[in-house]
Amino acid sequence: METMTTGSPLPRLELRKISKTFPGVRALSDVDLQLYPGEVHMLLGENGAGKSSLMKVLFGAYRADAGEFFFDGEPVAIGSPADAKRLGIAVIFQEFSLVPHLSIAQNIYLGREPRNRFGLVDHRRMHADAAAVLGELGLAYDTRMQAAELGVAQQQMVEIAKALSHDARVLVMDEPTAAISDREADALFAVVHRLRDAGVAIVYISHRMKEVFDLGDRVTVLRDGRLVKSMLASDTKPDELIALMVGRSVGTAYQRRYAGKPGDMALEVKQLRTATGVNGVDLYVRCGEIVGLSGLVGAGRSEVVRAVFGADPIQSGRVEIFGEEVSGGPHKVAARGVGLIPENRKQEGLALTRSVHENLLAASLWRLFPKGFYRVAQAKRATRELIDSLRIAPGEPAKRAQFLSGGNQQKIVIGKWLSAGCRLFIFDEPTRGIDIGAKTEIFALIERLVEEGAAVLLISSELSEIVHVCDRAYVMREGTISGELPKDRLSERNILALAMHEEA
Amino acid sequence: MTTSQQQKGLRSTVRRKRPLPSIVWVSVALAALAAIGVPGFATRGNVSDIGLQVAMLVVIAMPMTLVILSEGLDLSVGALLSLGGVVLAQTLAMGAGIVPALLAAAAVGVLAGGVNGMLIARLGLPPFVVTLAMLGIARGMALVLTDGNAVVVATPAVAQLYAMSILGVPFPILCALAAWALTHVLLYHTKFGAYVFAIGGNREALTLAGVKAKVFHVAIYATSGLFAGLAALLLIGRMNAAEPNAAIGIEFDAIAAVVLGGTSFERGDGWLTGTVLGVVTIGVLRNALNLLGVESSLQVVSVGVLVLLVILVDSLRKSRFLGAHA
Repeated sequence: METMTTGSPLPRLELRKISKTFPGVRALSDVDLQLYPGEVHMLLGENGAGKSSLMKVLFGAYRADAGEFFFDGEPVAIGSPADAKRLGIAVIFQEFSLVPHLSIAQNIYLGREPRNRFGLVDHRRMHADAAAVLGELGLAYDTRMQAAELGVAQQQMVEIAKALSHDARVLVMDEPTAAISDREADALFAVVHRLRDAGVAIVYISHRMKEVFDLGDRVTVLRDGRLVKSMLASDTKPDELIALMVGRSVGTAYQRRYAGKPGDMALEVKQLRTATGVNGVDLYVRCGEIVGLSGLVGAGRSEVVRAVFGADPIQSGRVEIFGEEVSGGPHKVAARGVGLIPENRKQEGLALTRSVHENLLAASLWRLFPKGFYRVAQAKRATRELIDSLRIAPGEPAKRAQFLSGGNQQKIVIGKWLSAGCRLFIFDEPTRGIDIGAKTEIFALIERLVEEGAAVLLISSELSEIVHVCDRAYVMREGTISGELPKDRLSERNILALAMHEEA
Repeated sequence: MTTSQQQKGLRSTVRRKRPLPSIVWVSVALAALAAIGVPGFATRGNVSDIGLQVAMLVVIAMPMTLVILSEGLDLSVGALLSLGGVVLAQTLAMGAGIVPALLAAAAVGVLAGGVNGMLIARLGLPPFVVTLAMLGIARGMALVLTDGNAVVVATPAVAQLYAMSILGVPFPILCALAAWALTHVLLYHTKFGAYVFAIGGNREALTLAGVKAKVFHVAIYATSGLFAGLAALLLIGRMNAAEPNAAIGIEFDAIAAVVLGGTSFERGDGWLTGTVLGVVTIGVLRNALNLLGVESSLQVVSVGVLVLLVILVDSLRKSRFLGAHA
């Protein structure tokens, strides 16, 4: 292999003016990227900045709407994963692409099974080759084990082995260390260095500042689907990278006005640990305040919420709601006056094919009619009050929930818990997929809940939302709270600093 | 492999023994119970009878295992079997030889199975609905072709073939063994087999591996149709006639055998040998109940109850196995 040095004139793979639009979202616009052989290229960006989209375009899983690819200077088309494979582009996916009931060896060589002279799969060679690839990573797994029998870290290592086995010329790694131990990460880094020295062009997506500078030769920052800046790692510093990542245009000038005195303790979480990766979380929310829970995707925010709501078992620690420790499933927690507005409202928060009326009263029928007899007039009155006070449009109780806009669907979910008498609201990404106008309305609604004495825990990947809406915020990193920011220190920059490395 | 495991500093993960699926114990226990408690069960003649009774079911249940591994279902096999029988008998009646006639039946099966597969893999229609419709079409075609009457087999060749035996093993059992061996090679020693597990377990992974998953998905249903068409030979050989209403409900036994054998409807988890044990278990249960004079409708009930019991036990044991792992 020819020796390549950083900044050699001809990129192995070059992307020019790549754009990709999904209905309503511009995922990538005019991205130019040069990947040089023998270089580790770190890709950074806030949640939703376009890193994953870019990676999928690179691998042909998404077809770019516009733009060109050049491989070693020659124009090429990447329209499918098969195209990418032919060019020697391999990807280590974050979502596991393993088949649960095939062996480790079969998974590594899926689609490329070695065959013997009878045309049958050559199991002996496949297992020997798989063991050799795993050996390079310092692993001696029994290659006959099925993927379903492996733990998360082991699956990730098999995923890495799978990509390595391709003898790739371009290797894309999407947060490969998110699920593995330090020891496995060290083995991985050694391999990354060796591949780089062998002339492979490596794209490495990471949220860990330390990795960016330990591994990276070049750093590119994405924001809002655009390339903000590409530079040599030696020419930059963590502070500069964070400054480049923040400042997403969210398009809402929403600013919270109210900042009254917090009241009674609504939620108190002490040293919470779960099997899902929450590792010693302390936080509290008082009535009358909006508290943010921020962090990058995978930091453990949703896991905290699931545990608080009783959807996942707690290993150790306490969850107190309105001063009392709770145990039992979600129905017990809901009965204490906790309303969860889930991230995926269409699947978890709404019965889409049922009417607005039915959805609004779904959680409060026993409260409205404690004797079990349904009274039509009273139910209609309750629905009408909710529709008016939440300003749900169109205000037709009989309309099916699926025909309302995202913002109005969200209001129905809120109304459902409101009518059930909730006083602690947990919002998980309440504005995802909602247009700007509706966002402002949702925030006004959240604020009104708080003014009326409720407590709100808000989870959002949009840093500016946390900054503008919350009275204070916790930042999570790798299953723990890495810091708490009071209102006067609440900024996108401080959140990102806590989310990505220790010192704020 | 052992040498690499002995190297120092390597992180190794040792394979733990997976529990044997319940069907292993169930089939042995049931056979033992029948041998002790049912007069006339443990005789050479009766055991041979069981083999003959289940032979055709083995041929049908083998590809059904592939279908269910791919998170699918094929309800049309019984109807295709009987349509294949009609085509076979009528082609023979036109003076064709047994091989061309069998090819005609196989072609009908492949065609119908291929249509099933196309509708399921390409259009994403639910397997239940697609194969249920095919069941109706094939059963109806069989009735149309015969005016609802049985077609008597025109040549003695079929009966001779059916009665043939090699080294004392009767022809139907040879066919069952051949179907098992062929499916085993297909599932465990070809790319196609690995893709069957992948289509059920993680279709996305297969597509990302650059494999045209849909082609193989169609092939699974075509294989099911092919085996049904070929099994028609056993169907008409037994009765020396093709009945348009024959083999009604055999899809129930085939699916029951696959499920008894420990194959799951989700995530591509299963075991081909388990299906064979499942078929044998159903055969033993029916035969023993027959000898005890239990009427056939109650036999169907007993198969259903057995399936539920085995699934229950398997799921409890599996959750404990995986729970211990977490």
